[in-house]
Amino acid sequence: MSENLEQSFVAQLQANQNIIHKICRLYTAGEDAHKDLFQEITIQLWKAYPKFRGDSKFSTWTYRVALNTAITLYRKTKRTISTVDYENHQHFVKDVDYNYEEEEQIKLMYKAVYQLNDIEKALVFMYLEDKDYQEIAETLGISEVNARVKMNRIKGKLKKILNP
Amino acid sequence: MKELDLLKKDWQKNSDSFQQISENEIYKMIHRKSSSIVKWILIISILEISFWTFSNLFINTDDVLRKMNHPEIVTALEFLTYFNYVVVLIFVYIFYKNYRTISTTIATKSLMSAILKTRKTVQYYVWYNLGMIVITAILSFFIAFVYNPDMEFLREKLAMNGKAMFVTIGILFLVILGFFGLFWCFYRIIYGTLLRRLYANYKELKKIDF
Repeated sequence: MSENLEQSFVAQLQANQNIIHKICRLYTAGEDAHKDLFQEITIQLWKAYPKFRGDSKFSTWTYRVALNTAITLYRKTKRTISTVDYENHQHFVKDVDYNYEEEEQIKLMYKAVYQLNDIEKALVFMYLEDKDYQEIAETLGISEVNARVKMNRIKGKLKKILNP
Repeated sequence: MKELDLLKKDWQKNSDSFQQISENEIYKMIHRKSSSIVKWILIISILEISFWTFSNLFINTDDVLRKMNHPEIVTALEFLTYFNYVVVLIFVYIFYKNYRTISTTIATKSLMSAILKTRKTVQYYVWYNLGMIVITAILSFFIAFVYNPDMEFLREKLAMNGKAMFVTIGILFLVILGFFGLFWCFYRIIYGTLLRRLYANYKELKKIDF
């Protein structure tokens, strides 16, 4: 593939890499696994890049390929991640100050989200990213109504995990 | 849900807090090899198709057939060989067509279904071959029994003793069963580990959409 293509790809990916980091954060535990998934997503994006026509934004396209790689193509992700993993994630997230009570609540929420299955995590991820239900539905290949219903069920499930 | 809104706030606040990967590192990454399940399925599928195709080519039955002196059987077997070539070509074509539909840019559900369809094609090819082996085994047993002069002794013995006939067929049946069992286990292990997660996720997606 041409040098130019490679250059434009690397520059765009570098600018949009946080999308991939966020997916890695949800689907892996620990720094090594994070890097490994990051690399696989990068390879898959590069492979799909020649067909990227620019009729959608690079970021939108990245969301889809990255999620598909994490949910479908990636082999190594464990289905359930233990509760200590939230702490692991902190190693590569810069410290940000919270008020204590909120921080505790957020911690518990992260733990709860890690207990969801791959598909539920994908919905939560797109919800957290402020995607609308139409985009969530299109990305996963389900109907918009069912995406809404599922998201409500996930909220219920998260509540149950928080208050067993 | 209050907690989810809190999480969303935190998530968006932290969305640029990751250690950034340099362009140089990204350059290195795109030249590394993928280890995705699609790649593994492709490798295993090519191995399977080649194994079955070549195993058919190398089984040499000509000498045995010449000895029996029955040209009609030779013709029938030749027909079967050409039939096999056509079947291989059809399977390879379907496999290629399904494989081409696998793309990371389509919806997750379609991607999963494309991967499973590609793998199923190979599975059908393997079942077809196993079926052919069983049919061939039964046919050759029958042909050997009826036409082969060396079997005269056995034939007489079996005619006198009905129980021996029963035992022979029983053994043949058990061998076939064992053979299938072995393949079934082999497939459970290979594809079980490779596709367990994919199946689970596909089921989950289908459940959402009924």
